[in-house]
Amino acid sequence: MASLLQPDRVLYLVHGEKKIRSPLSTLYFCRYCSELRSLECVSHEVDSHYCPSCLENMPSAEAKLKKNRKRICNQLNENFRCANCFDCPCCMHTLSTRATNIPAPLPDDPSKTAMKKAYYLACGFCRWTSRDVGMADKSVASGGWQEPDNPHTQRINKLIEYYQQLAQREKLERDRKKLARRRPYMPLAFSEKYGLGTRLQRQRPGAPITSLAGLSLKEGEDQKEINIEPAQALDEVEPLPEDCYTRPINLPEVTSLRQRLLQPDFQPAGASQLHPKHKHLLIKRSLRCRKCEHNLSKPEFNPTSIKFKIQLVAVSYIPEVRIMSIPNLRFQKECQVLLTLTNPVENITHVTLVGCEEGDPEDINSTAKVMVPTKELVLAGKDAAAEYDELAEPQDFQDDPDVVAFRKSNKIGFFIKVVPQREEDGDVTVSFKIRHDFRNLAAPIRPSEEGDAPAEAIWLTHHVELSLGPIIA
Amino acid sequence: SDKMSDKQSAQKSAKIASGAVVCVESEIRGDVTIGARTVVHPKARIIAEAGPIVIGEGNLIEEQALIINSYPENITPDSEGVEAKTMTIGINNVFEVGCMSQALKIGDNNVIESKADLGRNMILTSGCIIGACCQVNTCEVIPENTVIFGSGCQRRVQTERPQPQTLQLDFLMKILPNYHHLKKTVKN
Repeated sequence: MASLLQPDRVLYLVHGEKKIRSPLSTLYFCRYCSELRSLECVSHEVDSHYCPSCLENMPSAEAKLKKNRKRICNQLNENFRCANCFDCPCCMHTLSTRATNIPAPLPDDPSKTAMKKAYYLACGFCRWTSRDVGMADKSVASGGWQEPDNPHTQRINKLIEYYQQLAQREKLERDRKKLARRRPYMPLAFSEKYGLGTRLQRQRPGAPITSLAGLSLKEGEDQKEINIEPAQALDEVEPLPEDCYTRPINLPEVTSLRQRLLQPDFQPAGASQLHPKHKHLLIKRSLRCRKCEHNLSKPEFNPTSIKFKIQLVAVSYIPEVRIMSIPNLRFQKECQVLLTLTNPVENITHVTLVGCEEGDPEDINSTAKVMVPTKELVLAGKDAAAEYDELAEPQDFQDDPDVVAFRKSNKIGFFIKVVPQREEDGDVTVSFKIRHDFRNLAAPIRPSEEGDAPAEAIWLTHHVELSLGPIIA
Repeated sequence: SDKMSDKQSAQKSAKIASGAVVCVESEIRGDVTIGARTVVHPKARIIAEAGPIVIGEGNLIEEQALIINSYPENITPDSEGVEAKTMTIGINNVFEVGCMSQALKIGDNNVIESKADLGRNMILTSGCIIGACCQVNTCEVIPENTVIFGSGCQRRVQTERPQPQTLQLDFLMKILPNYHHLKKTVKN
């Protein structure tokens, strides 16, 4: 449907650190700053982790670390992988558990055999099974599958601990220096609490990302001195096997690069060593305006829900321009293009279109002159019940038929005149400014003496660019 | 002439073994032999244009599957020297919904998944699985237990062959006659 609507032909300009032009459907509107925001001028935060196949929520990192760190399931969660679901090592699809009946001797009477269920993992896409790598069938449906241990785990863990300690020490030194300068009366322990938990420090661009942050020293825990042995360089390397060049390659056994690199700790060269890994978790992300710190988008916590708690998307606040029909565009001939303007809010909106002036710094892409309607366009409010209400009188707006082609509830069709100025290949692009009134319902309710005062309207201006297609000679 | 009448009489017969379940809504054209315990769903099409088709036992041919023995593209039906090649299909194969098979020789226990497309010059041995939407049109013999999957038609070899669909076949042979009329062998 998106390709039918062709939303990327109408671009709105966002004033942020970078000037970004993108369709209204991809933009957000901060109603506290009353400005459009794009994905690049908001800060992205991780809300929660969930597994895409079992849709189980994983608690956030901070909540986990307060528990006992040493439990194995926690270790899996620290890697941000699901405990129940596996990925096929061959095609990365989700593995499903299948059961077969195998005859097994009864524990009470070994001479009789009963059918017992044995479970194995299988991929529905590439038909890989856990039996292919020699993993025995398990007697429980879930929880019996273990990832193979990495022989280097101990060494790596020790190195991580050592560097964590080093990082903490350096951070303490840094904080000590800072506090010594500014607030000498603040106790030292406060600096730990102001770790990357607060928003101010989180948003510092260019700050080093430390996944080790947040691991604060527990009070009373003595700092153990951790020493590591330095890595030793070896002179002799294991020689290649003698038949390295002469042995014929068994192609189905060779793993592809992708299969190999998805298991960075083993990187097996043979397909018979490809063991399934736990499935990676996905995140739910929330967006925050960088200027006013308000949330622009906050999803629901439940992984099965696609709704949002806060959803300040631009299409719900800003009138949307869409291209309806384009005639044959001719070089230096005036053509009439039909556009539509849709009002997303429930109150009447007044829209004025203004062409871009000469030398407008925002007008860099237009290749044609455009004449927009000079009169103010009035858009009716969006009324969800209008189609069911037969008694409602049609509102009389007295539209100029040269300007307004049609009117349908909260949408109007209007004409603009386009004169392409360049004969080259490429799309004819026009731009203009759209100025509309906006009632800010987010403004704090001020106690007013006159009773209910309507929300004040402010006027917003947006720069819109349209791509009308090529010139037809 | 004699040759013409022979051709006509050969075209009219579709030999369906007594244990097979072939729904009336399926389209069977030409000299087709269907073995026992084979199930042909409604809207399946088995067309023997350029030669006869022999289908073995225990096969499952689902809806909108197309098994066609057609002339190669550059040969017109009436040209001289064109031999009628027989298409043979073995036992326990599964032709899933919407697949198309022109392969002249298919062995046993193969699975051709939905919307797969097999060319005429392919030869499937046994235990092969042609994945959904995979178009394979090479001139080769697919080794046993090969799985072709993915948008790039990747291949791998599986250690077990796919299980024969006996349960499914039994179920269908019981249920389909309750809802569809069946085709019987045309007796001369």
